[in-house]
Amino acid sequence: MDIRFEQVDFTYQPNTPFEQRALFDLNLMIKEGSYTAIVGHTGSGKSTLLQHLNALVKPTKGKVMIGDRTILPETNNKNLKPIRKKVGIVFQFPEAQLFEETVERDIAFGPKNFGVSDEEGKRLAKEMLTLVGLDESYLARSPFELSGGQMRRVAIAGVLAMEPEVLVLDEPTAGLDPQGRKEMMGMFQKLHDERGMTIVLVTHLMDDVANYADHVIVLEKGKIVKDGTPQSVFEDIDWLKEKQLGVPTAANFAEKLIAKGMSFDTLPLTAEALADDLLKELKAGVDL
Amino acid sequence: MMNKLIFGRYIPGDSFIHTMDPRAKLIASFYFIGIIFLANNWQTYAVLAVFTLFAIFLSKVNIRFFIRGIKPLIWLILFTVALQMLFTQGGEVYFKWGIFTVTEFGVINGLFIFCRFVLIIFMSTLLTLTTPPLDLSDAIEYLLRPLKVVRFPVHEVSLMLSIALRFVPTLMDETEKIMNAQRARGVDFGEGSLIQKMKAIVPLLIPLFVSSFNRAEDLATAMEARGYQGGEGRTKYRVLHWHLKDTVVMLAFVALTAILIFIRS
Repeated sequence: MDIRFEQVDFTYQPNTPFEQRALFDLNLMIKEGSYTAIVGHTGSGKSTLLQHLNALVKPTKGKVMIGDRTILPETNNKNLKPIRKKVGIVFQFPEAQLFEETVERDIAFGPKNFGVSDEEGKRLAKEMLTLVGLDESYLARSPFELSGGQMRRVAIAGVLAMEPEVLVLDEPTAGLDPQGRKEMMGMFQKLHDERGMTIVLVTHLMDDVANYADHVIVLEKGKIVKDGTPQSVFEDIDWLKEKQLGVPTAANFAEKLIAKGMSFDTLPLTAEALADDLLKELKAGVDL
Repeated sequence: MMNKLIFGRYIPGDSFIHTMDPRAKLIASFYFIGIIFLANNWQTYAVLAVFTLFAIFLSKVNIRFFIRGIKPLIWLILFTVALQMLFTQGGEVYFKWGIFTVTEFGVINGLFIFCRFVLIIFMSTLLTLTTPPLDLSDAIEYLLRPLKVVRFPVHEVSLMLSIALRFVPTLMDETEKIMNAQRARGVDFGEGSLIQKMKAIVPLLIPLFVSSFNRAEDLATAMEARGYQGGEGRTKYRVLHWHLKDTVVMLAFVALTAILIFIRS
């Protein structure tokens, strides 16, 4: 399922003294099966953009096409549920959305809203809980007695249980320890690779962008300033530094090697790519 | 949802009204609500209306926002006005049907009540549109001070008030966030029968309460860590200043009262 934005504008509280424009004439395309990363400073409109992806807000101008549905400014708020089922959003700090008595019921809450039976809900809860790395003993526990990291997992499982085609993640690893962060990113990667899930990731971590994404959208003040593959976006390191967006660690290191006289065919973005390139150079007999 | 509410919000500015002492504004607003009951004929209402419009003019806030501020209350106002019109006896009878009578007095009373509502709402909207909430709570703390004599916990109440005011926008944001998260999980807010609507509130209310508890605990810890031990022996960072113009405004209100008493019938 593709998601397409055509000349999308969005203004908060239009026609009031508190009017604030958040998105300016956005054109973008999220292809089915892609892993898209959206980066930009705080307040660049990333979260506003996210809410357009499953019609939580409607554009004030332009149109958003989600699969075969088109969302226009005048689109009725009814019958948007099918879209919400197909596009699951994990918001920032999703542990704040837990409310049920048990983990099982909380995970099954989403699917049940979309008409899934109790049995099926239970099955999904069990499956998703293992998927996010917790065992079945957690099913009967209250979500409020879990640790922060476990709550986060349960919340994510609750979104995954709706079996969305597109998974939108707003800084899913913020506030997690390095191990948890790695596990979680690995899990999303697996969902993308094995189940063909389309993933949209909002993040400040350029290493994650370089490691996982195949498409990057850079937002600034509500406008798209760059859009392309990670390679093409990260190519211009000076531009990134000027925009204070951060550079992947590997690319940063490669840049230092270039300053010392080394050369690469393409700028390596990940540790693996850097290691491969260095190995090649070594084999070619270059004296480091 | 909450975006439409103008009443109770602050628009930054540097007009005459904006830069007044919040205590003066608070006293003036309450005083105005008091003296509005002095008005009992057209001349008095005209004087009050001119006074209110002049105050709005001084605040440099667009009058449209005041008119919009009335909108949420318009049904309450119309209901009261209608009751007055239909059930007041006296004067020439225009219309009679069962227990309903529309009389001269009724119509006039209804219109007076309408004016009264609008003027009170305008004045209180003016207060909140031009005064930051924290200034208001400072003013309330200052004005409550005399109650210390009767052991009223002035500091505690004003601390709670300023914390509450500070967290209104935060909680609003939080509400919006949780609402969005639950909508993304398939909850329909404000749809279906009354029972369905009430059920849909649960996934919003519980997380909101839980996060408020967490927030309160964190805040209390952070306050203690920074040496907060209650109101005793604290100094003030924000100090209120009473200027000449605040006195002038107070005098204007005294003059207004005199005029009202003079021309009321």
